[in-house]
Amino acid sequence: MDRRTFVKGSVAAAGAATLTGRVFAQAAAPDKLRFGYAITQSGPLGPGAESTTISQYKLWQKLVNDAGGILLKKFNRKVPIDFVSYDDQGKPDELLKLTERLIQQDRVDMMLAPYASHMNLAAAPVINRYEYPVIMTTATTSKTYDLALKWPYAFWNISQPNESAHPLSNAIAELKKEGKVSGKVAVVHVATEFGVEMHAAFIDQAKKDGLDVALSKSYPLGVADLQPLIREAMATQADAFVCMSYPPDTFMLVEQAKIVGFNPKFMYVAIGGVFPGLKDKFGSNVNGILVYGGVNPGEPGMADYNKAHQAMFNRPSEAGAINVYGALQVTQQAIEKVGEIDRKKIRDVIATDAFPTLWGELKYVSQRNANPWAVGQWQGGEVVGVYPANKAGAKPLLFPKPAWS
Amino acid sequence: MFEVLLGGVLLGGMYGLVALGLNLQYGVSRILNLSYGEFLIGGAFIAFFTVMGRWQLNPLLSLFLSVPIAFAMNWLIYRWLMLPLVRRAPDQDALDADVVLVTFGLFFVIQGLALVNWSGELRGYSFLAQGVDVLGARIALNRLVAFLGACVLALALFLILRHTRLGSALRAMTIDPVAAELMGVDVRKFSAMAFAAGGALAAVAGMLVSTFISFSATSGGDYTLKALLVAIMAGVGRVTGTLAAGLLLGVVEQLGGHLIDPGLTLAINFGLFTLILLLRPTGLFTRA
Repeated sequence: MDRRTFVKGSVAAAGAATLTGRVFAQAAAPDKLRFGYAITQSGPLGPGAESTTISQYKLWQKLVNDAGGILLKKFNRKVPIDFVSYDDQGKPDELLKLTERLIQQDRVDMMLAPYASHMNLAAAPVINRYEYPVIMTTATTSKTYDLALKWPYAFWNISQPNESAHPLSNAIAELKKEGKVSGKVAVVHVATEFGVEMHAAFIDQAKKDGLDVALSKSYPLGVADLQPLIREAMATQADAFVCMSYPPDTFMLVEQAKIVGFNPKFMYVAIGGVFPGLKDKFGSNVNGILVYGGVNPGEPGMADYNKAHQAMFNRPSEAGAINVYGALQVTQQAIEKVGEIDRKKIRDVIATDAFPTLWGELKYVSQRNANPWAVGQWQGGEVVGVYPANKAGAKPLLFPKPAWS
Repeated sequence: MFEVLLGGVLLGGMYGLVALGLNLQYGVSRILNLSYGEFLIGGAFIAFFTVMGRWQLNPLLSLFLSVPIAFAMNWLIYRWLMLPLVRRAPDQDALDADVVLVTFGLFFVIQGLALVNWSGELRGYSFLAQGVDVLGARIALNRLVAFLGACVLALALFLILRHTRLGSALRAMTIDPVAAELMGVDVRKFSAMAFAAGGALAAVAGMLVSTFISFSATSGGDYTLKALLVAIMAGVGRVTGTLAAGLLLGVVEQLGGHLIDPGLTLAINFGLFTLILLLRPTGLFTRA
């Protein structure tokens, strides 16, 4: 036998083996459901990914598996969850390679979302091409308004720039009407896609609402000192301060605002504002600070979830992670409704049904969450949802922000 | 304006502080240590646990733990990982290449261990997070403390290098290791000590920086990069030069941010770096 025939023969044999394996597998229930994800574990976005997303994946896996697994009606059996995961190092090209690898080589049953807007956006066309339904839990980008329609397998869970920024402007305008603020607002943003889009969405709406934008500037990710910028904001005499920030600078903004005694009546920070570390560091000074995203602490099941989270990670959960957990609950419920891993059917169920979760009832219209929490606020040492005000469990705005102590 | 300048000085002090240990390691021991930032973050973590742990102590006390650990670990790294490379390298260029690869690997190992132990969460604590008025400008006390720490360390290092026998030996090694050895300097021993001292300085810097900047298990690389930038600007082995280069960087960054746009601070950083490399490729404070 020459080498070529040998190679051909082996390939055919291997193919046949795989084929029999597959046919056989269709008859019996799988012994586990393999979920794949590539996510940022190192680099500047690593901490956020850990706190918001990876921790939730692990907790969900544990809680579901403790209960026996995900029920597949077709086999009338509960099947435990298994993870295959990689570190994309915060690089989109790495993420794309790993996503392909998870689908093509590791042949996972389902995929979970990566972390951060640009990464979710990068993964969406790939999972869509292979028809893996994925709920993107950390993407806020104006692009979803168009792209959601093009990618039927990608779902967008959290509040997008318009929905996130407009309520802030509306609220300041409302307070101005009541004579509680001057209507002068200072806006700064971190120079990332998220920051730029949130900033633009806010400025747009602020113009419509007749607010006076007294400062509008950016700073780079990884900035070492924000005091000059805070000083500039202070100098404008603005009593509303809106920062479209990312985690490390969110902490720095709060600390330096406190140090220079900048005490706006209305203060918003974006990503990282909900981290429990913020409260660990600043104590009761966090009260009154508005943040990106919200949650209803009174949601059924929240107490058990918090207990399990504390037990697993020895720290409280952050409000921003609840949406991730909610998306996992949707995924589980959709799989259980379908009763097997038929990704087309699972996709259709997610696209049409409504799902009770820790993050309230989730329902997707054109693959976008119909009414996500947009703005939260620290009140009495915990993050509560404030806007949209019509959502079940929404709390009234705490105003003015208490002075730094 | 004065406040902006002062802010730049404080920031620059921090840059200098971060780079001191790296420059000592590279200048004297001739080891370009890419895992340097990991020891800095190690110092930050020990400080964090000192403050947020059961006893809630002053972070300065963490130095009693972090400095000996960092010193010992770096000494061991030099003896066990670097020395074999030094022995077999035919010249400095070959050594640089080997060392960069090994310390880059070490960077991943330490970071991986840190991630497993401490997870990737963002950490921060409050220490002296209050303002003080200096000639009418309001500055953060913790940043001021870090700046003073940088000055004290740089001065101490300078005095040791200038006025002690050990210092003469170390300086001789910086200039020409072979000649120093011929003059009876125990190059291996002093290299190991300088390398270990550099690691200890990193731990001190980490503690001081952690009082005002949040960090995580993966922030080390950023500090290594910053330290490299400053050390290369200053010139290899220049101690006071390191502080001065840090100050220059900090002031230019703050002024640029203030006068042009805060969004440009990183661009200004690297612009200045490029300019200095073009004009004085061996560093600002190296004698020709």
